[in-house]
Amino acid sequence: MRRYKLYRVAIATFLLAPVAAFAQVDTSDWKCEYCPFEDGYRAEYEAGAGYVNEDAFRFGNGTGLDEKGTEAHLAGEGRYLKNGTEVTWFAEDLGLDSRVFEFGVGKPGKFGIDLGYRELPYRAFGDTVTPFSGSGDTLSLPGGWVPAATTDTMTGLSSALAPHSIEKDRQILEFGANYLPSSKVRLYADYQRQQREGTNIMTGSTFSQSAYLPRPVDDYTDRFDAGIRYANGPFNMTLAYLGSFYTNDVGSLTWDNPFTPFPGADQGRTALEPDNEFQQFSIAGSYRAQAWDTVVAFSLASGRGEQNASLLPYTINPVLPTLPTPVSSIDGQVDTTNYGLTLTTRPHDRLSVRFSYRYDKRDNKTPINQWTRVITDAFDSGDPEPNIPYSFERSRLNLSGNFRLFDTLTISGGYDRTDYDRDFSEVASQTEDTGWGKLRWRPTPYLEATLKGGASAREVDDYDTDFGLQFGQNPLMRKYNLADRDREFAEVALSASLVNTPLSIGMTYLWAEDDFYNSELGLTEASEDRFTVDFSWAVGERSSIYLTAGSEAIESVQFGSETFAGPMWEASHDDDFSHYGGGFRIAGMSEKLDLTFDYTRSEGETEILFTGQAVAADPLPDLESTMDSLRLELNYNVSERFGINVGARWERFEMEDWGLEGIAADTIPAVLTMGASPYDYDVWVFGIGFTYRVGADSE
Amino acid sequence: MRLLTTIIATAMLTTLTVSSAGGQEANYSRAGADSCLACHEEDSTLALFRGAHAVPTDPNGPFGHGQLQCEACHGPSGDHAGRVRRGQERPSAGALFGSRATTPVDEQNGMCLGCHEADTGFGWHGNDHDINEIACADCHTSHAATDPVLMTSTQPEVCFDCHQQQRTQTLKPYAHPIRQGKMDCSGCHSTHGETSEWQFARQTLNQTCFDCHAEKRGPYLWEHAPVAEDCGNCHDPHGSNYPGMLSMRGPMLCQSCHSQEGHPSVPADADGLPGVAASPYMLGQNCLNCHTQSHGSNHPSGSRLMR
Repeated sequence: MRRYKLYRVAIATFLLAPVAAFAQVDTSDWKCEYCPFEDGYRAEYEAGAGYVNEDAFRFGNGTGLDEKGTEAHLAGEGRYLKNGTEVTWFAEDLGLDSRVFEFGVGKPGKFGIDLGYRELPYRAFGDTVTPFSGSGDTLSLPGGWVPAATTDTMTGLSSALAPHSIEKDRQILEFGANYLPSSKVRLYADYQRQQREGTNIMTGSTFSQSAYLPRPVDDYTDRFDAGIRYANGPFNMTLAYLGSFYTNDVGSLTWDNPFTPFPGADQGRTALEPDNEFQQFSIAGSYRAQAWDTVVAFSLASGRGEQNASLLPYTINPVLPTLPTPVSSIDGQVDTTNYGLTLTTRPHDRLSVRFSYRYDKRDNKTPINQWTRVITDAFDSGDPEPNIPYSFERSRLNLSGNFRLFDTLTISGGYDRTDYDRDFSEVASQTEDTGWGKLRWRPTPYLEATLKGGASAREVDDYDTDFGLQFGQNPLMRKYNLADRDREFAEVALSASLVNTPLSIGMTYLWAEDDFYNSELGLTEASEDRFTVDFSWAVGERSSIYLTAGSEAIESVQFGSETFAGPMWEASHDDDFSHYGGGFRIAGMSEKLDLTFDYTRSEGETEILFTGQAVAADPLPDLESTMDSLRLELNYNVSERFGINVGARWERFEMEDWGLEGIAADTIPAVLTMGASPYDYDVWVFGIGFTYRVGADSE
Repeated sequence: MRLLTTIIATAMLTTLTVSSAGGQEANYSRAGADSCLACHEEDSTLALFRGAHAVPTDPNGPFGHGQLQCEACHGPSGDHAGRVRRGQERPSAGALFGSRATTPVDEQNGMCLGCHEADTGFGWHGNDHDINEIACADCHTSHAATDPVLMTSTQPEVCFDCHQQQRTQTLKPYAHPIRQGKMDCSGCHSTHGETSEWQFARQTLNQTCFDCHAEKRGPYLWEHAPVAEDCGNCHDPHGSNYPGMLSMRGPMLCQSCHSQEGHPSVPADADGLPGVAASPYMLGQNCLNCHTQSHGSNHPSGSRLMR
């Protein structure tokens, strides 16, 4: 017993030595008389108004500025600090669909309470039309609708079409609290509700035809995060809980069939996303030992997802015999296990070594039953089939090292191994080995260059073609995430700045090439080239200029077969994207004027070229998009308290997309679409705002 | 007993060594922050006092009672603040921060971690940022009322300083609302580290996506295997040229895995354009024109993801 106590004293002494060294400093005469601590309230309020010069639905994505006309908004931030109590608030875009408001109160270092609310507008299509109307879980066609076999023969279609935009609003409410009973312990608890309301497109198939449906979205997710963190010298640990609970207020969707129906199939019905929940407990921590500057970090998490929503019957068709489903809800359960261990050590002042291991498991324990499908509410398949609860295990092993060859040159190398084990898959077991090397040259703090290269080999033990055959899959197909693959890659990065001038430049280049060498059908090869360059120059203490540019080229080749035979056609994809832009900031001109300017142009282009048997003689048009975005802001500080800002924002977006272009509701005989058009807008937003500041800075 | 003696002796010697080193290095200024502010009165320095680090009532903060004020972060700087002879170069402060600073990165970060070990969590040590010698000050601005990396609207540009290729991707036509300033990188990535790949905020990519897309979590009666395994099999979450942030244009993306005889495997070529055949397999939502439940179905008749 005594030996145990001595042992503990020795270890405690060992751990607390650095703390003791700090504790020796006598700060009793450190008055901090020159310290301009904040005391009281400071804030900046802004009231602004803007004018949007045209309807630009897609521009409203994230901004809330989708309609032509005027808008008004409030913004600002503030902080109150007195006697150890701190109150903060922040507001942005109040009055718009992208509004944000945050509020916090607490005693720094002791506790804090936060409340937040924000909205995020999603705007997809504003020109869509549909003959369907309704709310909740039922969509109806107008009275007197005459079904037809194809959309172009639907006599009542054009008169029945009514606008119905595709948009959603996400509302996020957050509440959090943290408490620090000591400098070593932090307790926290956060609650968040994300609620979505709006309309999405989904499709309702009637075997050989389909109709686009403006499906309502009305759901929410409640999320709880709570935990305790403990840190004491070289040791820290976190215990955490995550609970996420999803509720869908529209669990199914029923629609009138606009096409000539199979007997009794006047309506279709589909299930929507079921209510589900996920809960997880985790523990994570690390320990730093002085020996070789060694750090051991670990994490362990165990979670369970459940889904037990009531099932719909096989069909809504009253003519078909009603078979009972084997269960009324699936009792779905997925258990997750995730753990990781990382060890880094520096056995020599020039050498560091890292070992890490990561394991992730998704174990789907949902019971298997036999189901007799009714095909699109039209006819009985008569062929029972089981549900397939996919499970997998994935492990990743990494071993790497850095060796400082010279003071200016470091060489690194590593080996990674990733293993997969799956249930119910063409590939039950696969392994990917990756080796890489890296050179890092840093002759001065102002210049750094890195060169990295490597190769990986992914091999599958056996591609079980019988598994795919039960679904009619061509046995020559190799799914790209399951296929044998060789990959080579290289990266170059350079950053440089001048010694006496705040001017810096950064460049990156990445190249990778994939070879799916055992694939006859599916993706067979892919490559990517990515290049970026950044330049910035702080011209003066209050002025700066920047330029950025980047490009991507992704190429891939795939083969397909229309029959149950070898490759019949080849598609070569050339997917390019580039952007460039720049801007400047000038602050304090004549002590009163701030000027900001930003401009970005981006261009995307995809060329898909088909060759082979019976492919069209004409090439597909390219998919193209261009965006110009400009922002100009001028702030004038009338006085210490008052400021005026004016600004202009321009965004032009053009797109060519053969998947959307010229497709009205009745263009595709077998598909009744909503006639969405490619994004095309050219919009200006002009704004003016007035700011009023209170607090220490404006005294 | 011999072992115990060895342990105690080692501990004592280590203690003496550290204390001694501390004693030699602990040449703090005579008046703390007042010594510093006598010279450093520029706005960029004083901005510290508008931020979280300068709250005198915070017992754990640098300016809390008995704490080391400026030297809590910059280290003992008595030589720097003291008198120097004419012609003698003034010694630098104990620790300087940022990418151009001469203070080694591990020393810079050690100063921050001295207090923020619990905040950064277990994952910093040995993660990619640590291994690549990224300084805390490369991302964080402590001398400011609001640290830009802690604001949703300004954080991405801080990350893009190094992650330039991700900036390129977020400018693509289909991307999360990052360029609009409504979403930040830390919504998905735990920048201080995790043992998960790509430092995800949750244990895996899918668990991270489900934070905002819980409706796709299931488990569904009819699952789509690549969805259950990895959202990244089909999606480029940083941005894409294609709707839905898909990694390849439909229907070719689906045809990379599906080659059933008949309609799924026909080439989506120019014969399918409007005015020719107006193919339901390539126009509009292509495969999703019928197989609308691509993330999974909970309908008893949904095995082909059409219900």
